[in-house]
Amino acid sequence: MSRRTHLGFCAVLIVLPVLLPTGLHAKPAHKKALIEFFGPALPKNLHDCHTCHLPSQPGIDEGAKPHNVFGARLAALRKQFRKDGKNSDLISRLEAIAEEDSDGDGASNYLELLSGHCPGDPKDKPTAAEQTTAHQKLADFRARPREAYAWRPFEPVKRPAVPKVEQVEWQCNPIDAFLAAEHKRQGLQPQPEAPKPILLRRVYLDLIGLPPTAEELHAFLDDHSPHAYEKVVDRLLASPRYGERWGRHWMDVWRYADWAGYGAEVRDSQPHIWHWRDWIIESLNADKGYDRMVQEMLAADELAPGDVNAVRATGFLVRNWYKFNRNVWMERTVEHTAKAFLGITLNCARCHDHFFDPFTQKEFYAFRAIFEPEEIRTERIPGIADVKQDGIPRIYDAKADAPTYLFHRGDERNPDKSKVISPAVPAALGGSFEIKPVALPGAKPAMSTGRRLALARWITDRNNPLAARVAMNHIWLRHFGTGIVPTEFDFGRNGKPPSHPALLDWLAAEFMAHGWSMKYMHRLIVTSRAYRLDSHANPDSLARDRDNRYLWRMNTRRMEAEVVRDSLLYVAGQLDLTMGGPDIDQHHGLTSRRRSLYFRHAAEKQMEFLTLFDAASVTECYRRNVSIVPQQALALANSSLALEQSRLLARSLAQKVGTSDAANFVKAGFEQVLSRPPTAEETAACVQFLREQTALLANGQKLTASIGAPISRVPAAANPAQRARENLIHVLMNHNDFVTIR
Amino acid sequence: MYSRRSFLADLGMGFTGLALAAMLHRDGVVRAEDPSWPPPDGKPHFAPKAKSVIWFFMVGGVSHMESFDPKPALNKYAGKTIAETPYKDALSKSFLKDNLRIVVPNDANGKIRPKLYPLQVGYRKRGQSGIAISDWWPHLGECIDDLAIVRSMWTTDNNHGAQLQYHTGRHNLEGVFPTIGAWVHYGLGSLNENLPQFVVLGTPLADCCAGVNGHGADYLGPEHQGVLLKVDPKNPLLFASPGADKFREEQQAEFDLLGRLNRLSGIEYPDDASLRARIKSYELAFRMQSSLPEVFQFERETEATRRLYGLDQPATHHFGQVCLAARRLVERGVRFIQIFHGSNGGAGAWDAHSKLRANHSSLCRQVDQPIAALLKDLKRRGLLEETLVCWGTEFGRTPGAQGGDGRDHHPFGFSVWLAGGGIKGGIAHGATDELGFHAVEDRHYITDIHATVLHQLGLDSRRLNVPGRKRLEIEYGKPIRDILA
Repeated sequence: MSRRTHLGFCAVLIVLPVLLPTGLHAKPAHKKALIEFFGPALPKNLHDCHTCHLPSQPGIDEGAKPHNVFGARLAALRKQFRKDGKNSDLISRLEAIAEEDSDGDGASNYLELLSGHCPGDPKDKPTAAEQTTAHQKLADFRARPREAYAWRPFEPVKRPAVPKVEQVEWQCNPIDAFLAAEHKRQGLQPQPEAPKPILLRRVYLDLIGLPPTAEELHAFLDDHSPHAYEKVVDRLLASPRYGERWGRHWMDVWRYADWAGYGAEVRDSQPHIWHWRDWIIESLNADKGYDRMVQEMLAADELAPGDVNAVRATGFLVRNWYKFNRNVWMERTVEHTAKAFLGITLNCARCHDHFFDPFTQKEFYAFRAIFEPEEIRTERIPGIADVKQDGIPRIYDAKADAPTYLFHRGDERNPDKSKVISPAVPAALGGSFEIKPVALPGAKPAMSTGRRLALARWITDRNNPLAARVAMNHIWLRHFGTGIVPTEFDFGRNGKPPSHPALLDWLAAEFMAHGWSMKYMHRLIVTSRAYRLDSHANPDSLARDRDNRYLWRMNTRRMEAEVVRDSLLYVAGQLDLTMGGPDIDQHHGLTSRRRSLYFRHAAEKQMEFLTLFDAASVTECYRRNVSIVPQQALALANSSLALEQSRLLARSLAQKVGTSDAANFVKAGFEQVLSRPPTAEETAACVQFLREQTALLANGQKLTASIGAPISRVPAAANPAQRARENLIHVLMNHNDFVTIR
Repeated sequence: MYSRRSFLADLGMGFTGLALAAMLHRDGVVRAEDPSWPPPDGKPHFAPKAKSVIWFFMVGGVSHMESFDPKPALNKYAGKTIAETPYKDALSKSFLKDNLRIVVPNDANGKIRPKLYPLQVGYRKRGQSGIAISDWWPHLGECIDDLAIVRSMWTTDNNHGAQLQYHTGRHNLEGVFPTIGAWVHYGLGSLNENLPQFVVLGTPLADCCAGVNGHGADYLGPEHQGVLLKVDPKNPLLFASPGADKFREEQQAEFDLLGRLNRLSGIEYPDDASLRARIKSYELAFRMQSSLPEVFQFERETEATRRLYGLDQPATHHFGQVCLAARRLVERGVRFIQIFHGSNGGAGAWDAHSKLRANHSSLCRQVDQPIAALLKDLKRRGLLEETLVCWGTEFGRTPGAQGGDGRDHHPFGFSVWLAGGGIKGGIAHGATDELGFHAVEDRHYITDIHATVLHQLGLDSRRLNVPGRKRLEIEYGKPIRDILA
């Protein structure tokens, strides 16, 4: 289910996390703090209000529940601590009175808390036996490993020490050590490794976006060498399909969109921007460093003058082009450059200083000034005279002296022309931002301002606090289904805190230390034990961590829209693996056999089949939504695509395994479509179906046609037994396990 | 957590691998492993007054003063600051602090606007009840004797996270929670197994302000989330039929096998809420093939009815279709229909920080006639008695001016209304102060609307919960007894 909890407010949509000490709303936060601090040590009955407050009394407003003596003591300490300039958060105050006996019943506050009694109620006190147990609990609690890791996303990444863990199987990969330490702290029992077929399908879909074929499944099941899995991983990362799979992920983050407009009028993005898409795929397949990719997207024209291939990368900026208003174009550029590469909501500082993070309104416009000189042109491709036919839409600095003004309250009608804003990056993020103009011999203009190159170098400098953290969080999200920071585009104070801050920092450090190699990091992640865990639930861990925040099991996920469509074609052996080239008309989605990422994707030009499965929003998509609605069922049950592929696959499977043994056909179908053998019950159900369906179809008098003309270009088999087999394959393509990645 | 056994009970699957009976849990099967917690059995907790709910939501924040809570004092003191009026105590009320979960110092929006802005539209008393509402709602004015206007709403977010909050009852900073439609879906059985029971019409909320979570089910599981239907009579349902070269009986057998295989997976993964949702979505999809396209055949309505909804006029054509679709869905037993108006990819069309007069007059023109038509149409068909219609928005707008001609966000007092479904008509309940600033009489937090909806459907909001997911006091709300017939 979707957990897009973060609301990206800005401009008119601003909220601040200043919690007022009103009785009504402080309680949940305090309760949460207690639960987080004590963790499993806190008895369940003490999560409640009466720990600090008197029980409800008639006549007293619920919003003003008075404190008991313990709560009153805590409240008084707040004032005192503030006066003394000390940290006055609840836990600091609690620790200060841990050994006190607030209610004077002879048991200290902590002993009462840990034995499930109220420290503010003298009538409620632990028995002698309970006190003994609580003493032990307190000693254990005091001795517990502390999560003392400070999460400071706006300071440069320091590589944290890898935790020492006891279990041998969680020691090999540093990622596992970080996770295992947290499992222990949270009292979670991780699942065992997933069965081989499940794991194989998981890693195939994850790395190349296509499931393993039956042959690949068998090869893996038969490979008993110690590194069978690692061999598969290496092969998948070397496959050109990898660049397509992860290219689509990055196209989400980098907001890929083909041109949109009315009729032939281009209003958004640019024609031929698919060159940028191809650059993404090629760069990923070549394992170009992430730092270099960012640099080329922001400033290939300045970094590699004259390199037509590299300048394709500036499609990242071209995509923001907007016909009717240059301010919109510039604002989009600022917003999404900051969100995609830095995970900050600089856009919130357009009308006023940022409410959460240390970015001023002036810095929004200073960031804009970096892009102010840019314009778009279509670069001629050698051999193609007409850029309308084909060409590379690219960025260049057209007007070095174009001024940037601060708009009063973000209103473009109200620019402050008294002062030209100079290009700069947010000071709070540190680093040095040095602009050096770049000479472009033979080009017009012959100089580029070098502003964008300076930005690119500042972002990808190893001291930039955010670039590697944000990128690794995106990669992690797509491997595990949840990000370490749940708000991928907001690492600021309005974002949500990370589940494993030290791990994310370690990943970021490791990423940069290995030349920003994404393939290196993918390999590290997918060969971890954590990645290989089974997705079943054990009741104890489920009760403690229902949302699997601490990854004690693998998250079950649904295929993204593109993977659903590609896999349908692929399992039937029909997917056209041609790479790259111009965007394909989205109306051909059910008839073309090309991979889904090559189809036109723009406002009002999206393939319906993909949209139904929550394809990327054209405006922004830092993470996909996941819905389950009946329209998806109809797309898989009633589309010509699914009908045709099921018929084609049934035909080829019948040829391959023969038709004499129904169980054999069922097995082949499961292995090809679901990448696993059927269970005995499944085989029995399917064999029975084949028999009954053949009989049903043989008796034409009892049959009524569905409404509408035939939609499938592949007719149903005339032979009832074969038609039943087609039906079976069609069912498997609709099986929950087909769209599910376990 | 769902145990293996309960999964089977829910999905009508016995250990023998044979279907026991469809929807066993509807007949009150209790999960044996968790005797402390009876899950909803699909039956109301007590005798319901309403069967269905139509839930209108105007996105962006409708001005209560220019709609359902006219304040002559604004005209009298126009141009003066609040401090210069006899009602200056509005600025020292504790609500200013207590009412807000969040305070935004120096925000460009969400501020107290001191300089009073006169009403931008006239108002008059309407109907037998003589309740005054603004002239931008002339058609709705004809229905005033069926409406219970609640003029004393408050919420705690002074920004558009309040859109999410209006539907979940929780402040957006606290995260995502099930929405009112999902709770209804969770609590009650189906009235028509051939249609989704929680339908969303119009464009859902933008990602800034709730996104799909505005009709989501969160921890209740995806089977309870709203199903978005596009009101497009020319293309009512994508992939509605496999075409003539698939026999109906052939397809039925395929779906039967699919259900059987997915249930076998359910034994393997008993706590997989997505699998449960998918099984149900397939069962529904099969039936929707024939049931849904017919819903949007507006040509089956009389010319007079289509005109009533304004299908013949450009301004009302679109929203008129949405409202007419809502009536046709109610007729067919859809339980909860959530209708958005004013989604614009951002904060919402009603967010009139400037040019309020042009903004609200034009938007009211789009919705006034269709909403009134829906009420009249339901009433003449005898459906209004069993259909609860709720109209709301995330917050009101400031009594003071923003810029020269707008109003800002205002969470301290605003209006909603309810009609039908056992609601008393022709009353105005609660009140804001003379300036329309604070809700002062019979104050209601937004979950009181949720509780009222549930109450009319025969559900006790306190009995709707899930083990391991504690609900806050404030989430339950209290039914607004004074407006119940």
